[in-house]
Amino acid sequence: MSAPAAGWERRVEVVLGVAASLILLAMMLLTFVDVVARYVVNRPVRGAFEVTELMLLVLIFAGLPLVSFTDEHALMDFIDRLLGRRAQRWLEGAVQVLCGALMLLLAWIVWLKADRIWAYRDATDVLRIVYGPFVYFMAVTIGLAGVIHLYKAVELTRAGARR
Amino acid sequence: MIEGLVGLAAMMVIAFLRVPIAYAMGIVGIVGYAYMRDWNWLVASAMVQTKIYETGRNYTLSVVPLFILMGSFVTRAGMSEELFRAAYTFIGHLRGGLAMATVWASAGFGGICGSSIATTATMAKVAYPSMKRFGYADQLAAGTVAGAGTLGIMIPPSTIMVIYGVFTETNIGKLFMAGILPGILGAILLCLAIVCTTWRHPTWGPRGPRSSWAERGRALKDVWAVAVLFLFVMGGIYGGLFTATEGAGMGAMGALAFAVSRRALTWRTLYDALLESARTTAMLFVILIGALIFAEFVNITTMPKDLTTFVSRFAVHPIMVVAAICAIYVVLGTAMEELSMVLLTMPVFFPVIVHLGFDPIWFGIIIVCVVEIGLISPPVGMNMFVLKTLLPEVSTGTVFRGVMPFMWADVIRLAILVAFPIISLWLPRMMR
Repeated sequence: MSAPAAGWERRVEVVLGVAASLILLAMMLLTFVDVVARYVVNRPVRGAFEVTELMLLVLIFAGLPLVSFTDEHALMDFIDRLLGRRAQRWLEGAVQVLCGALMLLLAWIVWLKADRIWAYRDATDVLRIVYGPFVYFMAVTIGLAGVIHLYKAVELTRAGARR
Repeated sequence: MIEGLVGLAAMMVIAFLRVPIAYAMGIVGIVGYAYMRDWNWLVASAMVQTKIYETGRNYTLSVVPLFILMGSFVTRAGMSEELFRAAYTFIGHLRGGLAMATVWASAGFGGICGSSIATTATMAKVAYPSMKRFGYADQLAAGTVAGAGTLGIMIPPSTIMVIYGVFTETNIGKLFMAGILPGILGAILLCLAIVCTTWRHPTWGPRGPRSSWAERGRALKDVWAVAVLFLFVMGGIYGGLFTATEGAGMGAMGALAFAVSRRALTWRTLYDALLESARTTAMLFVILIGALIFAEFVNITTMPKDLTTFVSRFAVHPIMVVAAICAIYVVLGTAMEELSMVLLTMPVFFPVIVHLGFDPIWFGIIIVCVVEIGLISPPVGMNMFVLKTLLPEVSTGTVFRGVMPFMWADVIRLAILVAFPIISLWLPRMMR
């Protein structure tokens, strides 16, 4: 019954994973080309600085849902040893709901910021790249991380019901 | 003062309930900030917007993913084998020699990789089987790998130094230089710990065969590339040829070229290396953003100022303050994830340290040293968990007992570094 769900999870994971990987590769190449160009042909890449900044932003926020998806956030789990299996699952579910709620709240807050930045058409100094879409992207991926947390909470209760 | 303490306590309670530490810091930071501004949620959300947005597009921070990527490539290039063999040909014939070779190979690997966990994981696959083949005791073999792996973050490049540098606005290049001598000192002390252990239990670490000079020469030839990569990146940063971020980019590029030339890279492993680095980066940045939000809250409480006044009013000797901070870290480090621990406490401790006239670079090295102890201290030393996952046949108890002498070696080093700041500061002072 979770087959279609597993399908969309996988697709989102692949899209974000490929995006983050390509961005990281591009960041490395850009830095390399920038330094080499500065020393060899005495002409650094125009606006490399700004592009790197924006790439970092995409890298981090494409990575965020991936980290939530694979449960890689650093946490302290000794409490597991004090709780029975049922209580453990309850707590874990509650934590996922809390995390999901927090992320959705943050997504909304960042979306408001994006609206403002877009309205002013804020752009980078050299290349005049408009910031707006990038901030919307942040809001979307933060929201996606929130949805993933909530989805995990649902999965936990389902697993509990099956038992 | 009270608000700050309540905030810290609330954060610990929430984190104890299994909420990711970054989220716990964020939640307390937002609520605390709003409270301090008379429940003005508008100001609090503006602060959060700024922190998330500005951290995401901070040029200096792009050094983080690039150094992680460099380590990821280097790990996949499989240099650990050659490093271990080279160190082994020189000291393998001593009692406990293989263990000492593990220490020096880890130190060498730390010179091109900024993560202790990666260093431990790599060395576990190479050094542990060799030690077992020569009849080493589990306890010594596992303890050595976990203990030596911590050198990864002291010897530059180092992820935690970068994040400390950004958080406290300390020069990252200088921090890197400052880590070199303490890293070497650490390796020497770890070797002494091995000497002591094998002196008490001679059967634990039998001698290996002695290698000829021809063999040594050949083994050294295999590791020249590691040395070149390290000297190129660190030398470039040291000599001012490029910034830390550029050094990281060049290093990652070099490591990639290196892995390709060794035919260690397929499209699949290239993708894995990139994806793994991207995820690690995102994970670190979530912690960083959470900590920055929390720091905004702590900074508008009177806590940092009160602590500074408290310290100066009682005219405690500055070294006592440092000792107290170290003690707090060692205790916290047994239970908490190390990076979050450092970032969580930095807004409180850093002003005090600066106020007392200590060098932020030196304090950065002390922090790294304390984190290294945290990585191998029970019950939640990260390095030991890594080892446990890779070597399921070794019991947790054995790893814990095995790592004890190395933990003491690290504590002694911490004392030495606190007593003689010049060890950390000599190299950075030579920098222009």
